[in-house]
Amino acid sequence: MDPFEYLRAADSDQAVAVVTEDPGTSYLAGGTTQLDLMKDGVLHPRRLVDITRLPLGGITHTESAVHVGALTTMEELAADPVVTERLPFVREALLLGASTQLRNMATIGGNLLQRARCRYFRDPTVPACNKRSPGSGCAAITGVHRMHAILGTSDHCIALHASDVAVPLTALDAVVHIQGVNGPRAVPLTRFYLPPGDTPHIENVLQHGELITAVEIPLLPRQARSHYIKVRDRVSYEFALVSAGVALVQEDGVIREARVGLGGVGTVPWRAWDAEDVLRDAPANAETFLAAARAALVGARPLPGTAFKIELAQRTLIRTLETVSGAEQ
Amino acid sequence: MTTLEAARAVGPGLDRVDAPMKTTGRAPYPNDFSLPGMVHACLVHSTIAAGRVRAIDTTAAETAPGVLAVITHLTAPQLERGPMTLLGPSPPAPLQGDRILHYGQHLAVVVAASPEQARHAAGLVRVDYEPAEPLLDLHDPRAAVVTNPWGLDSDRGDIAAGFAAADVVVGGSYTTPDNTNNPLGLMSTVAAWNGDSLTVHDSTQWPHNVRTTLAAVFKIPESNVRVLAPYVGGGFGAGLRVWPHVILTVLAAREVGKPVKLVLTRPEMFTAVGHRPYSAQQIRIGATRTGELTAIEHEGVSPVAMDDDDYEPVSACSAVSYACPNVRTRDRQVRLNIPCPGSMRAPAEGQGNFALESAIDELAHELGIDPLELRLRNYAEEHPLLGLPWSSKALRECYLQGAERFGWSRRDPRPGSMRDGRWLIGYGLAGVSYPHYQVPCQARASLHRDGSADVRSAATDIGTGTYTIITQLSAELLGLDVSRVHFDLGDSDMPYAPQAGGSGLTGALAGAVHAACRRLVQEFLDVVRDDPDSPLRGAALDDVAVSQGRIHRIGNPDQGESYTDILTRHGLEELSADGRSTPPQPDAAGMATAGAFGAKFVEVRVDPDLGLLRVTRVVSAIDGGRILNEKTATSQIVGGTVGGIGQAMFEETATDAGTGRIANATFGDYLVPVNADVPDMEVIFVGGPDRATPVGTKGVGEIGLVGVAAAVANAVHHATGRRIRSLPITIDQLML
Repeated sequence: MDPFEYLRAADSDQAVAVVTEDPGTSYLAGGTTQLDLMKDGVLHPRRLVDITRLPLGGITHTESAVHVGALTTMEELAADPVVTERLPFVREALLLGASTQLRNMATIGGNLLQRARCRYFRDPTVPACNKRSPGSGCAAITGVHRMHAILGTSDHCIALHASDVAVPLTALDAVVHIQGVNGPRAVPLTRFYLPPGDTPHIENVLQHGELITAVEIPLLPRQARSHYIKVRDRVSYEFALVSAGVALVQEDGVIREARVGLGGVGTVPWRAWDAEDVLRDAPANAETFLAAARAALVGARPLPGTAFKIELAQRTLIRTLETVSGAEQ
Repeated sequence: MTTLEAARAVGPGLDRVDAPMKTTGRAPYPNDFSLPGMVHACLVHSTIAAGRVRAIDTTAAETAPGVLAVITHLTAPQLERGPMTLLGPSPPAPLQGDRILHYGQHLAVVVAASPEQARHAAGLVRVDYEPAEPLLDLHDPRAAVVTNPWGLDSDRGDIAAGFAAADVVVGGSYTTPDNTNNPLGLMSTVAAWNGDSLTVHDSTQWPHNVRTTLAAVFKIPESNVRVLAPYVGGGFGAGLRVWPHVILTVLAAREVGKPVKLVLTRPEMFTAVGHRPYSAQQIRIGATRTGELTAIEHEGVSPVAMDDDDYEPVSACSAVSYACPNVRTRDRQVRLNIPCPGSMRAPAEGQGNFALESAIDELAHELGIDPLELRLRNYAEEHPLLGLPWSSKALRECYLQGAERFGWSRRDPRPGSMRDGRWLIGYGLAGVSYPHYQVPCQARASLHRDGSADVRSAATDIGTGTYTIITQLSAELLGLDVSRVHFDLGDSDMPYAPQAGGSGLTGALAGAVHAACRRLVQEFLDVVRDDPDSPLRGAALDDVAVSQGRIHRIGNPDQGESYTDILTRHGLEELSADGRSTPPQPDAAGMATAGAFGAKFVEVRVDPDLGLLRVTRVVSAIDGGRILNEKTATSQIVGGTVGGIGQAMFEETATDAGTGRIANATFGDYLVPVNADVPDMEVIFVGGPDRATPVGTKGVGEIGLVGVAAAVANAVHHATGRRIRSLPITIDQLML
């Protein structure tokens, strides 16, 4: 790890100003990604601005949304009574992620900005990584890539976005509130992330120095049901091979509203729009679910190590749909 | 040879004597030692698998803050390779040239005032490589092949005739992956020179080997070297050898004239301290329609490093496990540009048993015979190679009592026939015949005038319970309460002890302590031989028993006196005695020395849509001879079972094809079981003391792991009808 300066921000304006003016300065919140990557020699910030004492925590509620301060920890959000009652799949995704220790440190803002788990990205002795070193190539495509993406990939990067909670948040059209030197703005999570394309080092719409201040999560209608299923190689403390977050509103056996997110498969938290189109106004039955699952994986680009994920993702989505709809066998 | 009488101190589950030290953080592990003036080392390693170092630029590192030295092959002194050991040759000496033989090979050691400065500076060393094409594939035709590496290839009977006589033949190709030992304690070395004398704290399973090796490498008398390892944070075999980083730490300490500490990083643990090598196995078994085995043919091939050796006879288990008249086993090694493999808990057995016990299960299925019954029908009453009766063998009891405890009779043999909702349920079984291993050992016992005893041997307790069981055994042999006995280990100045490895330490050490304690009682009898005031005057060792701090005549507890009385009356502060043990000789004893036996019963649940596999129950029935402490022995089996679940379902060290880089060298990426993956594990001990040794123990350090993978795979077959021949068993193999 390289030596660095540490600065504790007095207020958000100061923090944003200090980071914006210097490309070598980064924010420090929970640190669960940032510090690992510094120790591994992947990130080399000259200076860290600690924002953990800024008033960016706390959860507030309106009739239609949960407003989550960016510094809210994963555990805090999972314990929120409104989330527990109205958005159970958000709570499930949170609690299936990381470990208790990490969830007590990791913030929601940081969770959305977590970096790829790709071992080629995280090992600076590997020359080829377009995300770490633009233009150098991608070692993962010909390497060990069982944990990598099949949707949204490019010839330049197949790294997965491994967040669990971002899956239901994407499905819910959560909105990211951002503060920059030119003032605040709000971006829907579905447009927040950028596919790798030929610029995998640019992962989202944030300009350097922009700070996530809050995430606004719209509530579902009261009759909605939701569930998150995470399939992984061990029962706990492991990232998803595939996951699915589904919310449905049904009337007399017909799906009126469907929200579907997939994890473990996308270079970004994956919104399965095509699956939602299949589900909307369709009967909640096996035929519909199979059609939705197939639609969700159209366009997948498997590699030898990830070929199984297409089938596994479809089955996982079907299982989740069955569970949420109550049509489980 | 007499075995001990009924247990007193020995047997019940005495709490670990070192538990208070460990649970309160006072037990000093090697990396807890800090010495005045101590500085810190960090390694630089190769990021290619083959080639040479064309140039190495240390300028930036040398001028980085706090840096005291950067040692490379250009500046290192000539070092000789360490000596031949009981376990084979020492690893190659480090920094002796520009040749690169594997990814992770140490290319430099950086010494700085703080560990952070050392690590930072190590990152500034620039290596210019001249790469060569590495050999990384076991099947690469260019790779050198070592046939029959250990002389253990075996032929019994007529293998062709055996298969010709078979009504049914099953077989298949099995693979087991590279596994990495990964003790939780990062391997650490602290080295301090004082003139030509050297003190080393090291994460070793064998202090005397470290002493002998360092004395040879640095050309100083062994008596000038002291190696300390009172506590070691696990080993699983990673601490059996004097790896190059130990030598580099000692070298660095000599170069900078200060004590030096080196703590390996977790990624370095994947390349610097050995690993269980991949295996590719072919096995064929023939049997009659009624289930008599007629032939077993088992071949194994494993990779080995270019310039090192490793003991992995994966097929050897097939020669001794069943009463089969025609058996052929073959092993080969293929030299590749890989980090040196080395022993990992149950080396070879862990791999070979998976193929053998899977094939036996497959045969049972083909024959329509219960897998338990098939194993009993082919029970080896005698050692199949030696033709001698076993010194002890309660494998039948393992099968029968384990089956009873597990509820094996509830098994419907039809695959896929048992389910609970979405979950398919499977029952699987595997047997284990673990080889015996023992090498010489020494110990010293002393009794003091206050009635307390000290017992010493330079063994290690790598978490196994050695401190506790030897305290108990000594207390029993001397007739003392365990609170009056202090057993000490982990210091090369103590009497010689072999490695904690091969499931051989307890037997060797117990034998040495037995000899020392008996001789110590004899010393007391010698003192009072002509003592008219002693009720023990003239007594011989066989005439007396010991209890409650006293020696007394057998059958007459009143006719005796305490150790304290004898020492006081004769003006002695203490008496001491040395003891040694040697391995039993099977021919002389007319019996085959037995290792532990075991039967593993596993229940799994499989979600066939999502490929989910859960191990939901494990019963291990173990014949470990005399069990000195049921609690620590149970912990050994439980820990081994968790390792076996890891081997079955999770552990796989992945290597990049082009560079030989380890692709998952972190605990985030190399999966081991977490608590949620580990079910209730029941352990039962069957059988009794082994006849071959005075104490009657058989080692249980490794047998806990063996058989679990096969039992899981067999249970998966029972649940799903799918025969998995490649470990680990993962979701993508189970989506039906």
